[in-house]
This record gives sequence, C-alpha cells and structure tokens, in this order.
Amino acid sequence: MLQVDAVTRRFGDITAVDEVSFDVPDGQMVGFVGGNGAGKTTTMRMVMKLLAKDGGEVRWDGEPVTTDLCSRFGYMPEERGLYPKQPVLDQLVYLGRLHGMSAAGAQRRATELLERFGLGDRLRAKVETLSLGNQQRGQIIAAVLGHPVALILDEPFSGLDPAAVDQMSQLLREHTATGVPVLFSSHQLDLVDRLCDSIVVLHRGRVVANGTSASLRSTGPLRYRVSLGGDAGWVRGMPGLQVLDVDGSTAVVQPEDEQAAQLLLGEAVRRGPVHDFSRIVPTLSEIYREVAA
Amino acid sequence: MSTTTARHQQTDPQAGATEGTEPPARPWTLVAGREIRVKLTDRNFLLSTLFTVGLIAAIFGIQAFFFNLSSAPEYRVAVTDPDAVAVVEQAGASMGADPFGGSTEEATVTAVQVEDEAAGRELVAAEEADVVLTREGGTWTVGADGDPPASLAGALQEAVRGQVMTDNAAAAGTTLGELMAGTEVAFVDYASADDSEGELVVFVAGLLFGMLFYVASLLFGLSIAQSVVEEKQSRIVEILTAAIPVRQLLAGKVLGNTALALGQMVLLVAVGLVGLSFTAYDAFLPMLAEPLLWYLPFFVAGFIALACIWAAAGAMASRSEDLQTTTMPLTLGLVVVYIVAQGLDGTWSVVGSYVPVMSTFLMPIRLLEGEALWWEPVLSLAVTLAFCWMTVRFGARLYRRALLQTQGRITFRQALSLGE
Repeated sequence: MLQVDAVTRRFGDITAVDEVSFDVPDGQMVGFVGGNGAGKTTTMRMVMKLLAKDGGEVRWDGEPVTTDLCSRFGYMPEERGLYPKQPVLDQLVYLGRLHGMSAAGAQRRATELLERFGLGDRLRAKVETLSLGNQQRGQIIAAVLGHPVALILDEPFSGLDPAAVDQMSQLLREHTATGVPVLFSSHQLDLVDRLCDSIVVLHRGRVVANGTSASLRSTGPLRYRVSLGGDAGWVRGMPGLQVLDVDGSTAVVQPEDEQAAQLLLGEAVRRGPVHDFSRIVPTLSEIYREVAA
Repeated sequence: MSTTTARHQQTDPQAGATEGTEPPARPWTLVAGREIRVKLTDRNFLLSTLFTVGLIAAIFGIQAFFFNLSSAPEYRVAVTDPDAVAVVEQAGASMGADPFGGSTEEATVTAVQVEDEAAGRELVAAEEADVVLTREGGTWTVGADGDPPASLAGALQEAVRGQVMTDNAAAAGTTLGELMAGTEVAFVDYASADDSEGELVVFVAGLLFGMLFYVASLLFGLSIAQSVVEEKQSRIVEILTAAIPVRQLLAGKVLGNTALALGQMVLLVAVGLVGLSFTAYDAFLPMLAEPLLWYLPFFVAGFIALACIWAAAGAMASRSEDLQTTTMPLTLGLVVVYIVAQGLDGTWSVVGSYVPVMSTFLMPIRLLEGEALWWEPVLSLAVTLAFCWMTVRFGARLYRRALLQTQGRITFRQALSLGE
C-alpha cells in the first residue's frame, strides 16, 4: 500500500501542496481529482521523488519510499514524453532496461504490448510520426513495461478516444488485479467515477474530499424529487422539510431526516397518484463543485 | 514491505522470473550506450566526420603527390669507367643523406654502364640518362644536353674531388683526413636555435592541438546540452530520473559523449599521422609521439571538465531555442581561451600550460618544443584533474537543480539558488 502522509511543498511564498494525506491500497485504483494548479502534479512528483518534500512522508507498506523502490514504480509524467526522433520500440526497450529488464525481455514485452494496442506495424516508426493518441499509448506502455509494483500516472487518459480509454483502463485493471496500487489524476470526473475504487479531491493544495464514489456522493444533503398527478403546491405545508423548488406537479424538497421524507410520501399517496418519488444523489461533478468552491 | 513486493511478483502473470525486479547495476552504461548509438546512427554526424577525414586525407594526398612529383628526382648517370661507378654511388649517397641540410630532396642516383662515350650520348639523347660521366687521362668530364641538373652536377663534382684528393693524398704519403683537418667552418644561426622546419611543425601541431580540442569541446558540448534539453523538453527526463539517479544519467551522458569525442579525435589524428608519413615531414613523427601521448589524457580531462557544465547549460534551458543563451558563457569562454592561448609565449605560455583547459594544448606544445621537464605535464594534469573534479560537482549540482524546472529558462544565478 502506498501512503502519502502530510506531504507539503512550498514554492517561494506559495504552498503548492499543504499536508496532503491519502492512501492508495493494494489492488485499488485511486483517482486524483482537482482543478488546474490544485497540486496534483506536484504531489505525484514528490511521490516519485522527482521533487523534494518540505514536509511529510511517502511510505510503502509502512516504510519510507527509497530511491531504489521508486525506480520500480511505473510513472507517466503529465506532458507526454518520449524521444521524438527515435523509433518507439527502441526507446521502450531502453526504458525497460533502465528499470532493470534484460534487452531481450524488454524487447519481447514492449513488442507484445505495442501489438496489443494496434501499433504492431509501427514498431520502427519515429515517435514524432505517431498520432498523439498513439504516442500516449506508447507512454502508458512505458509506465507498465518494467513490471511496476505501483503505478503513478499523471493525466493518462487525456486526449484518448473512448475506445482507447477502454483499452487502457483494461490494462490498468490487469495490474490492479495482481495487487498493484494505481494512482492517476484526471480532469474527467465521469471517467474517474467509472474507473476508480476511490477518489481524492485536491483543491488549492489541500485534500478536500477523500473516499469511494458512493460515500462521497452520500455526503450530500438528503434531497427528494416528487412528481404527482396534481399540483404539488401543498408540499409547502408539510412539517420538517425545506421546499427548494415547486414547478407545477413536481417539487424538489430537502427533508430534515428520512422520517420527514416518509411522512411526505404517505401524504402524497393519500392525496392522489405519485409518479415519482426519488432520492437525488449528487453527481461527482456536483460534489466536486461543492467541495472546491 | 518485502511480503507485498513478493506477492506482486508471484501473482503478476506477465512478470518473468527476474525481469525488472532489480534496478540495473550500472545504469550509466545504458545511458552512455544510448548516447553513442544515437550519434552513430545520426546521418549528419557520420557525414561531417567522413567529410573531415576526407579533407585531411585530401590535404596530405595532394602534398604527397607534389612531394613525389617534384622533390624526389631519380638521376641516371651513364659511365664508361668502373671507377666512375664508385663516384656515382658517392654522389648518390651525399644527395640522399640529410633531408634537413637545406634540402628535403631524397634523390636517387643510379649508374648505367655503357661501352663508350658515344653510347652514353645516345642514352642522353634518348632521355634514358641525364648525364655521361667519363675520364680521359686524368680529367673527369660530365656531358649533358645543355646544363646538367644543378644538384646532380654539384654532387658529382664533390664526389670526384673527394676521390681524386684521396688518391693524391695517398700519393703524397698522407691521408685526406690530415689534409682537410681544420678546414671545416661551423655555422651558427643566432636567430633561432632550432631549424625553421622544426619550428613550423611545432606551430602547426600547436594550432591543430588547440583546434581539435576547441572543435571537439564545442561540438560535443553543444551535443550534450542539446541532448539534455531534448529530454527536458519532451519530459522524458521525469521518466528517466524516476528510474535511475540523476547522477547516473549525467555520468552516462558525459562519458558517452567523451568516448565519442575521443574516438573522433583519435580517428582524425590517426588519419593525419598516416598522411604525414607520406610527406617530407615524416622525419618529425618520432618527435610527435610523446606530446601526442600526453595530449590524450589532457584532452579527456579537459573535455570532462567542461562536459558537466555543458550539461548544466542544457538543463537550464527549457526549450532548444534557449540553448543559445544558456550556452553562451561556455562558447564565449572557449573562444577566449583558444585565442589567448594561441597568443601566449615565453613565461606566459609556461603559466598557460598550467591553466586547466588551456593546458590541454599548451602543455603538449611545450613538450613538442622540448621545453617542459618531465614533472611539468604530470603536475599540470593533476591541476586539470582537480579542476575537473570541481566543475563536475558544480555542473552536476546545477544540472540536478535545473533539470526538473519547467518554468522557462533559468540563469546560472537562479540555478545556484534553487532548491532540489
């Protein structure tokens, strides 16, 4: 398990990352969410020891992460980086060898992954001649090539089409299935919601929300939507709830508790047909907007 | 920690038994290998190296061609008298004896035995002989169409005189040595202790020593800076430094390019030396040996001393467009060192031969001039190595600090005050 504990980084007077703490448990995918300048990249760079920390610690199974261990993490930096003028296979082999693979082993594994992602006929192509999506596939392959014990991926999905996103998330799932913890950052909240086991929301260098998608969404206030056969104006008279909106036969209410909600439902049924009585679960975007406000 | 790590490997279906489990033992060798491979497959690099080699070969080729054409004549002398054969051999020996004696000629003179003077004349008319050498009674005669070749005529006259005087001395009961004792006049040139050609060789060698280092340091230095900024610009540097220590990355880059620079220098010098052996200056080869042997370690130490600073200059740029600015102090410094070094003489050149980088070409020149004592290059090399140690530390520090800064170009001053 990867643990980030009260990690802090200052640039001059600005505290870019302020006592950020969260866990990436074994075999789980954790989404790292936050606006531009929230401190995601800075945090990930500190995890990778690319940037010194002003405070806090990153631990791996309870022990501080060493440089040697760090070299066993798979890492993908924010801006896609491979040598533009070198063939894609060559540099994947080079990167694999830097991670301690044998030349033959790296060659075999890189070829296999490139073929799997439809780049089998572009093995000798220079990276700069590949499309951006394909360059990014190369990048993700570079991150997983050396059989990493953990994956730290900065915006791995930005710029990929939905099919490629599926391919790549499948690849990441294969790694979490073997127990590898994966931390990745993204602006695409729906994607994070779909893929991740848990989410860490960063805002202005601080963790403002942290948990599973369901638990985060349940932190929102209790709200119900009521859709009736007749006019819904009478809900204003019900005790223990706040009416947020009434529009003809539909109303949105915020009951104080579940009991008040059930009271409302009973009254509605007594008065006539009820087409809809449903709990409003906020989307992740709404939660995000709320915590990052 | 170890239990989890072990579990990851056991359950990872794609993990080979030993693949990627340990960091490579010497990652710098991988980095250096890549630097060399990329350069050796770079068409521009190969073409420019081939062009330079071709240019050197052509220069010496032309020299050798004219040397053979003009300055190694073969003379044929028709003779009727067996005694004349000895005279001709003597003349030939004196003409080929001393290439430094004012002439670089290494003429060969061959005697051709003929029946009589008439037969000799025919040979001269057919241009199969240059002159005819005959003796009638006590008189030696050299016959030719028009004037005989001046150097041949002089050599023949000298040889005849020697022969006749030896005979006459013997007849008078003495020896030629006794007769000639004290007649030699010694000449001293106050203007220069050395001969002028030796001086020319020192001058040209000095120019080349300096030029080779200057060009190699500039070209490969820029190439290091470029390779650093390329990695920085594409952000692959983050992947690299996450995988291996920055130290190893820098070492690989510097040593890979040092090997390339050294290889290219040795190739060019080898072509030059082979070329030299075909010219009249081949006699200077032995005297070049010691300075050249010293030039190698000075070249390597001087190159490495600057290489880390080149790498730092590359790291301070954030795009290749910035390189011109960040490498300016280095390129300017090299030009100044080169020009100043070429202008030094006397005491100042002794001082310069201890100044790191400058010593790379000044010390070999002093060795070539035969001025330096045996311990001087040793001491100077030690000074350069100490300087090298400092610049490597300094350059590595700047490199480490600037490498992951992505907010535009940074200055030396900023890089020094940066945190890690």
